[in-house]
Amino acid sequence: MMLVALLLTPVVAAGLLTIARGRTAGLAHAGASGLTLAFALGVGSDVLVGTTPSALGGLLRVDGLSAWMLALVALVGGLAAIEAPRYAPLGARHRFYPLLHLFVFTMLLAVATDDLGVMWVAIEGTTLASVFLVNFERTRASLEAAYKYLLLCSVGIALAFLGTVLVYFADASKGGQAAEALRWSQLLPLAGELDARVLELAFAFLLVGYGTKAGLVPMHTWLPDAHSEAPPPVSALMSGVLLSVGLYAVVRLRALVDASAGPPASERMLLGLGLLSMAAAAAFLWRSRNYKRMLAYSSIEHVGLVCLGLGFGGPWGVGGALLHIANHALAKSVLFLLAGRIRAAYGSAEIADVQGLLATRPVTGRLFLAAMLALMGVPPFGLFVSEVMIFGAGFQQGFVVLPALGLGLLVIAFAGLLRALHGMLYGSAATAHAADGGAWLAPVVAALVALVVTGLAWPPGLAAALGAMATLVGH
Amino acid sequence: MREVANLLGFVGLVLALLVVWRQSWRGRLRLFVAQSAVLAVLAIAIGLYANRRGLLVAALGFAALKVWIIPRALTRIAAGPPARTASPRRSAAASLLTAGVLVVVAFTIMRPVTAASALPTAGGIPLAFGMALIGLLVCVTGRDVLGQILGFLLFENGVFALALLATYGLPGLVEAGVFLDVLVIVLIVEGIAVQMRREHDSLEVDRFQELRG
Repeated sequence: MMLVALLLTPVVAAGLLTIARGRTAGLAHAGASGLTLAFALGVGSDVLVGTTPSALGGLLRVDGLSAWMLALVALVGGLAAIEAPRYAPLGARHRFYPLLHLFVFTMLLAVATDDLGVMWVAIEGTTLASVFLVNFERTRASLEAAYKYLLLCSVGIALAFLGTVLVYFADASKGGQAAEALRWSQLLPLAGELDARVLELAFAFLLVGYGTKAGLVPMHTWLPDAHSEAPPPVSALMSGVLLSVGLYAVVRLRALVDASAGPPASERMLLGLGLLSMAAAAAFLWRSRNYKRMLAYSSIEHVGLVCLGLGFGGPWGVGGALLHIANHALAKSVLFLLAGRIRAAYGSAEIADVQGLLATRPVTGRLFLAAMLALMGVPPFGLFVSEVMIFGAGFQQGFVVLPALGLGLLVIAFAGLLRALHGMLYGSAATAHAADGGAWLAPVVAALVALVVTGLAWPPGLAAALGAMATLVGH
Repeated sequence: MREVANLLGFVGLVLALLVVWRQSWRGRLRLFVAQSAVLAVLAIAIGLYANRRGLLVAALGFAALKVWIIPRALTRIAAGPPARTASPRRSAAASLLTAGVLVVVAFTIMRPVTAASALPTAGGIPLAFGMALIGLLVCVTGRDVLGQILGFLLFENGVFALALLATYGLPGLVEAGVFLDVLVIVLIVEGIAVQMRREHDSLEVDRFQELRG
């Protein structure tokens, strides 16, 4: 029941928000965002006590992994919703708010459905809901970003559809029931009997397809454009959770392939693309001149790192990767929101134009520094722990060169980020000092505190939850 | 059924190859419509043969979308000033050669699938995948919005055909989602094209030069 309510809330809100105006719109937006978050946490707590909520004849089904992603989408959705009023001019809110809620809905549906076909439709839906948001400012640059985003992700996702067809084919040719042949929970126990070569081929298409949505190199070219041109709340959602939804699809499908063809096939592909993504991102992080693009390239780096964790496998590798997804989602969404504030203060997204941030905007500057340190994986923040888990898993599984290479790339990226950060925080400011801070910072601070919690003191049950998710997908 | 599937699959592939060869936009659009019609007939034939009513509905939906609604939208996008510039493009022969190589690649890649299929339509699977790859080629070599979206639609047709030949179509809910998705993509592209004409006075993607680095 609560699961249906969770998915209905953003859809109904989107409908209402197209007609509501003024204060009503603001209230509906806030109410819907709050309700979505509350329902998501409610469903999550149901899962924590050991149930598996399902609805619509099993079409929706939330296990531990889905609950983890639902909570993440709703949390970052809430963060984005708080900042949304700043970036949607009064006259354009009836366009901005509905699309924002639809965007959140498509991501929630993608992670809440048990059906791989519906998941595909929902993930494609994320592109369609967000393409107008990317082009919201209707400049030449945002138009270019939106077109690239639409075309590349549509082609990518069509490749994922091809992979889905092949999974369906493998199941149907073994006599799977037509209407339910794409249900993940029913496919997994049967996966051992499915044609291994067909599933391997399917996974190649699925990884390239959903990898395009996740921003894996070389399918990433749309990402820095779209993430930097979109309004900050949309960038926060895209970098924070949309990429993770793409990775989520890969995690689910990989479990099927591994059960059929054994881990080596998917392992090779994940490690290869993961390392390539980290390498390309590290190179671009050294030459990016625009801080929003820099944050976007850093997302590619982290997506690569998550793939590395998934590739290493085992409870540490997969658990670390899933924890890293959450840590990165919090850190990156906070950074994009702060970057939006910085851009408003300095009137530019160029790194060279932003100097003396700590002096002119002390609160924003300090928070930006803290979030950047979190992103770089500095303790006591959670990303440090998940990175240790991922590389620990690598060495534990007997890899030597790959984790070493990954660590090297991480250091290069670290230095690139630090260089840009130093330039922005210090130096003589061309902008006058202004008081900043205020109530809007509370959620940002809360997200940073959450990152310290995942870094220093795991709440009871987190270790068990990560282990359970890894077991669920066969590790 | 085997002969029908092979024949229609082959005709679909030849039509895709002709799109690579043709230079004029209207000619290419007509070829796309013809290919879509052939695939709709294929869906109806398989639906009748396998006695699947859902597939007949899907075939009608596919025909309405790809033979009627989308071509009209594409015509709207192409209509109006400015005329497409007649800048030199790579030779049709080279593109055709690449497309031919892709067909061979399609046969190689799809071998495990064809081998695992017990359906009489299995022989057409590599043909359908060939159509999809040629669509991808048209998409990546497209110089303007129209060329790229046409390539995407051809690719989509190929995947539809593959699903048809390998599995007799996916569950109705998924097919419906795919149709809606393609329709929305084309409508969004129409909106983007309007803005492109206003900003750049052209639909050529070379004009996109704002975002670098």
